[in-house]
Amino acid sequence: MNILQQLNDIFTPERVLTDEDSLQNYGKDWTQVYTPDPLAIVFPTSTEEVQALVKMANEEGVALVPSGGRTGLCGGAVAMNKEIVVSFDRMNKILDFNSIDRSVVCQPGVITQQLQNFAEENNLFYPVDFGSSGSSQLGGNISTNAGGIKVVRYGLTRNWVLGLKVVTGAGEVLDLNHGLVKNATGYDFRHLFIGAEGTLGFITEATMRLTNIPKNLTVFVLGVTDIPALMQVFETFQNTIELSAFEFFSEDTLSLMVNDKGYARPFDTEAPYYALIEFEVDHESKEESALQAFEACAEEGWVVDGVMSQSLQQAKDLWRLREDISETISAYTPYKNDLSVNISKVPEYLDKVEQAVNQNYSEFKVLWYGHIGDGNLHLNILKPDSMEVSEFFEQCSKVNPDIFEVTKKMNGSVSAEHGIGIIKKNYLKYSRSKEEVELMASVKKIFDPKGIINPGKIF
Amino acid sequence: MKVLVAVKRVVDYNVRIRVKSDGSGVDTDNVVMSMNPFDENGLEEALRMKQAGVATEIVAVTVGTEQSQDTLRSALAMGADRAILINAEEAPEPLGIAKLLSKVVEQEQPQVVILGKQAIDDDSNQTGQMLAALLNWPQGTFASKAEFEGDSVNLTRETDAGLETIKINLPAIITTDLRLNEPRLPKLPDIMKAKKKPIDMVEAASFGVDLTPRLEVVSVSAPEARKPGVIVANAAELIDKLKNEAGVL
Repeated sequence: MNILQQLNDIFTPERVLTDEDSLQNYGKDWTQVYTPDPLAIVFPTSTEEVQALVKMANEEGVALVPSGGRTGLCGGAVAMNKEIVVSFDRMNKILDFNSIDRSVVCQPGVITQQLQNFAEENNLFYPVDFGSSGSSQLGGNISTNAGGIKVVRYGLTRNWVLGLKVVTGAGEVLDLNHGLVKNATGYDFRHLFIGAEGTLGFITEATMRLTNIPKNLTVFVLGVTDIPALMQVFETFQNTIELSAFEFFSEDTLSLMVNDKGYARPFDTEAPYYALIEFEVDHESKEESALQAFEACAEEGWVVDGVMSQSLQQAKDLWRLREDISETISAYTPYKNDLSVNISKVPEYLDKVEQAVNQNYSEFKVLWYGHIGDGNLHLNILKPDSMEVSEFFEQCSKVNPDIFEVTKKMNGSVSAEHGIGIIKKNYLKYSRSKEEVELMASVKKIFDPKGIINPGKIF
Repeated sequence: MKVLVAVKRVVDYNVRIRVKSDGSGVDTDNVVMSMNPFDENGLEEALRMKQAGVATEIVAVTVGTEQSQDTLRSALAMGADRAILINAEEAPEPLGIAKLLSKVVEQEQPQVVILGKQAIDDDSNQTGQMLAALLNWPQGTFASKAEFEGDSVNLTRETDAGLETIKINLPAIITTDLRLNEPRLPKLPDIMKAKKKPIDMVEAASFGVDLTPRLEVVSVSAPEARKPGVIVANAAELIDKLKNEAGVL
């Protein structure tokens, strides 16, 4: 029986798409570099269907590619070799909620924002948040161990996964950790699936943890003189008050937002860099402390100006200056790098990377922004209008070895939170040893002996 | 000229409103409070008048509890010169507030009083109009544009039928629409300076006006939750449901 027929048997025919538009749409993520060429798109609605699909794929030797909100930036969800794309769009329900455990059982297609809203309706909070939370799905978040804008206080997605139900590449269904807080009973396979970029199996259920709603989140945007000053500002604030975010963006980035999106500058004074700082003001003394930290930074000359939100709306509006960057610059076909080093090494690192870029590509516009409180920098090189996309990416990839060599020397990461996918495969060696990569391949072989689950990704 | 701007401390626009379980009102315990957004527009307009050399002094005034000082501090940080807090434990109704404001107007003698067209907590949309009546001043409500010219002001008003432009003589009452301007964010140095600016505290009772409530709140309830939609299998079922369940066909 041919594969399409078998798909129609496992799923109902309306949940198997083969038209060209769907293949193009579901076959790619936000990477926009690769030409999708999947065989079909399927929409499972249960763990059993996923299991049946994996068994069939093993028998037929056909590859499967998991697909969530397709907001990835490394090609992790791209299918370009006649794979079957497994979209979790139809597995988008919140199945259970326990207010004592503060746990929510979700299907993998639940959209990040859907979980955030559900938590809020129950007077709780799901703290993982990023620019794409309106379209990204939990399964994808877990598979990439997504970070985002609140990592300083709440950590990565990994911290919030209490349990997983998965179908491995071999077709076994595993119920991992059962939502337990404590469970010291040997290897915790749950953590292997988190951040595995869908290469070990499919997540078909996730039990997520919730926490208290932060009260009265208040935002400062400060104009900062240079990167060393930015780190001083970070240290000063971190020592004064518990931060829920510490983000930065360069003046070039801000002026692009102002020109393209018509956003208002937070204040008239121009500064080379801006820090966006968020914290909870649940007591007047917190505001007092934050203002004192600002005053101290201003006296040292690190900060030239700043504003503070007076309402939740103003806080939201200030956040847009940072959160909407990625979407705004996508019009310029940016070449994205997502790098990290120890927080203390950021100034030296940024200096060296800038040198590497300037020496080779002085004509390119380079935008810096990122989660500096996590040592995570997003370096975006914008395509000049006159240059062809392929030419541009080729030029950019030439500078990569220079950037990654610096990263390696400083024990940094070539992919802080976006993953490796396809786009960073050749650079994995700059962050992971040969032995590590070999072990990764061995682990994959155990869970996916025939190599049918998202092949060609990571390594 | 002196400008008086009325501001009110309300539940923040972005807070999910919860009705108290006994139906006596909206839960405001541990809830983020901010300046009424329409009042921010009012203050911003006054600040722009001062920048343009039209206004010389901006006085912010509020009626509320001591906690309303926060709102006045925000107003001072944005650029108001001084502030008056009329302390009233029981929140007066719009008529009571209008009476109190009319007394402040007698004392302060402003040429213009700017108020939000309504506060987002009770949405009364009455205080500005009542104040105009009590003072017997001209009023321009729902202003989306204000141009001062000698002893008068040209106001563009947002009405149901479109935009209306009127010319009113000063002194006058103006109530603001959100389209009037984009309120500024207070700068951190100004927030710190604002802590040193004066706030006059006056007891509402000292004005000798009748604040007796004239309205009785019988009960407050949350709007009925929207019913979830259903997916129908085909057009025939849809038509059947529209006919027999919804009764719209």
